[in-house]
Amino acid sequence: MISYVWILCGLAFKQLTRHRIRSLLTIAGVSIGMFLYASVETMQRSLSVVTEATSEDNTLVVYRENRFCPATSRLPERYVDDIQRIDGVVEALPVQITVNNCGASLDVITFRGVPTESLQNYNPDLEIVSGSYQAWRSRSDAALVGRHFAQRRGLEPGDQFEAVGVRVWVAGVIDSPEAQDNNVAYVHLPFLQQASNVGLGVVTQFNVRVQSPSEMELVAERIDALFASDENPTDTRPEKAFFAQTASEMIELVGFTRWLGLGAVFAVLGLVANALLLAARSRVMESAVYQTIGFSRLAVGMIMVWEGALLGLAGGLLGCLSAGLFFYWNRFTLGNEGLTLALTPSVPVVIYGLLVAILLGLVASIWPALVAARKPIVASLRTS
Amino acid sequence: MESEAFIQCREISKSYRKGQAIITPLERLDLDVAKGEFLALMGPSGSGKTTLLNLIAGIDQPTSGRLVVGGRDLAKLSRGELTEWRAQNCGYIFQLYHLVPILTAYENVELPLLLNRSLGRKERSKRVESALELVGLADRSNHRPSELSGGQEQRVAIARAIVADPGLVVADEPTGDLDRDSAAQILELLKTLASDLGKTIVMVTHDPLAAEAAAKTLHLDKGRLSENDKREGVALV
Repeated sequence: MISYVWILCGLAFKQLTRHRIRSLLTIAGVSIGMFLYASVETMQRSLSVVTEATSEDNTLVVYRENRFCPATSRLPERYVDDIQRIDGVVEALPVQITVNNCGASLDVITFRGVPTESLQNYNPDLEIVSGSYQAWRSRSDAALVGRHFAQRRGLEPGDQFEAVGVRVWVAGVIDSPEAQDNNVAYVHLPFLQQASNVGLGVVTQFNVRVQSPSEMELVAERIDALFASDENPTDTRPEKAFFAQTASEMIELVGFTRWLGLGAVFAVLGLVANALLLAARSRVMESAVYQTIGFSRLAVGMIMVWEGALLGLAGGLLGCLSAGLFFYWNRFTLGNEGLTLALTPSVPVVIYGLLVAILLGLVASIWPALVAARKPIVASLRTS
Repeated sequence: MESEAFIQCREISKSYRKGQAIITPLERLDLDVAKGEFLALMGPSGSGKTTLLNLIAGIDQPTSGRLVVGGRDLAKLSRGELTEWRAQNCGYIFQLYHLVPILTAYENVELPLLLNRSLGRKERSKRVESALELVGLADRSNHRPSELSGGQEQRVAIARAIVADPGLVVADEPTGDLDRDSAAQILELLKTLASDLGKTIVMVTHDPLAAEAAAKTLHLDKGRLSENDKREGVALV
């Protein structure tokens, strides 16, 4: 039975390879649709990675209450000592954030000012790809630039660049398992406080690492309670929830792309169905001959179904792999309110896209398969 | 004698609806054809020749009557059983050859063998080569139909019809689209199939010259076989 199915697959393959132009045009159309679909899926997945909570999350972000932009969130740097004394807190990092654009943007430059001595302790996974920590510590205007940010801007250690009125010297390029870190420039906190005119002793937020993920909510309540009656009350949320609530413009934008993905799916479905239906109608006689020889109706229909699956497979492979490589080489990021969403390609997206393409090919082939198989042999033979 | 007939038609009728009218191309027809016989069916257009051929080939079923081919009552077989029966017992030769245009001569001839799941690639290859050799086209096996002449295409179609070694070969105007020389070659080939390989051949033709190649000729008119069979041996019941 299996060998028979493969024989039908072989016949379908011959139909496709020997109607080269028709097949190539269809595959090209499918691949464009699947490129769009995989791109949308890449955006959706990248967003879900940074916004959907997991049981391993243990980072809180302390922001100024009722503020949603780094330009307006101002908290006294001295809070760090009080936060560190709270039960359940492992470490707190004051961060000053300066961005060139608070709205949703494709080209966002983000400076993160952090205490010189704290960066390495707080982010032990940061790896220096080129340059050194030593060089960063040695100059007040030094910056450690994320790998993707450096790649996009063509920056290397020793270069200087200026953005948002802040001029920095590149001391090194860093690589991190956190996509956000790969898209920002870390600078010294006092330097950024002065360069961006917020003044010494003022920060945008605190990143707080807690002892146990189960304590996140409790620790957040303790922090907010501690500063509730202060001049600058705080709003503390898990990092991913903070991202989901703060970068709302970006999330809306990415959410909208889901419709584009759906459109791409329907376009692929229509394209394959149309190509196969035309093929089925032009092969009425051929199908009758197959049946006269002894191929069953099911077998004749199966050849059509295989054609759909193979078109989906070829187009899906081309489109999804192209999308993966496109995002891999271009390192796109979406920025909003100082937060960065790195559009990161992933193997699951490529595999999922491929499966969707094959499924679309199968679904699109059902009607053409019925057209090819259901007409009585004698009536089909008369069409000559 | 009845038990010896390879094809037995007993009062078979075929009707179909065309708009409001009911057309009956065959009515209460009786016919016996012996095994290994080469029979030509002649008659004017619309006389029911092709309908009878399609019934004998198992691609259509009679409205009433009994049709036994090689011991199987085709009227009682389901669609699936008929399909299987055709694959094993019947080769069909069309007037316009009807080779699959995207397949080479070799691949066209191989098609019926793909249905036999017990045959491996090597065995299939051996049989296809033998069939192509029999029709004199071993050197054209990699050519597509568009690269062959009409006569060559029909010979490939004959190779396709016999490659699975069916007992019955039916041919619908096999020389109708060919020049005289090519037609003569095809008829010679059909005669060889009957005389040397023992195939039972039923051929529909308009051409009296083509009919002469057959051992027997019957005339069909308005759905009935006429009694003007010239030769002995055909049992008109």
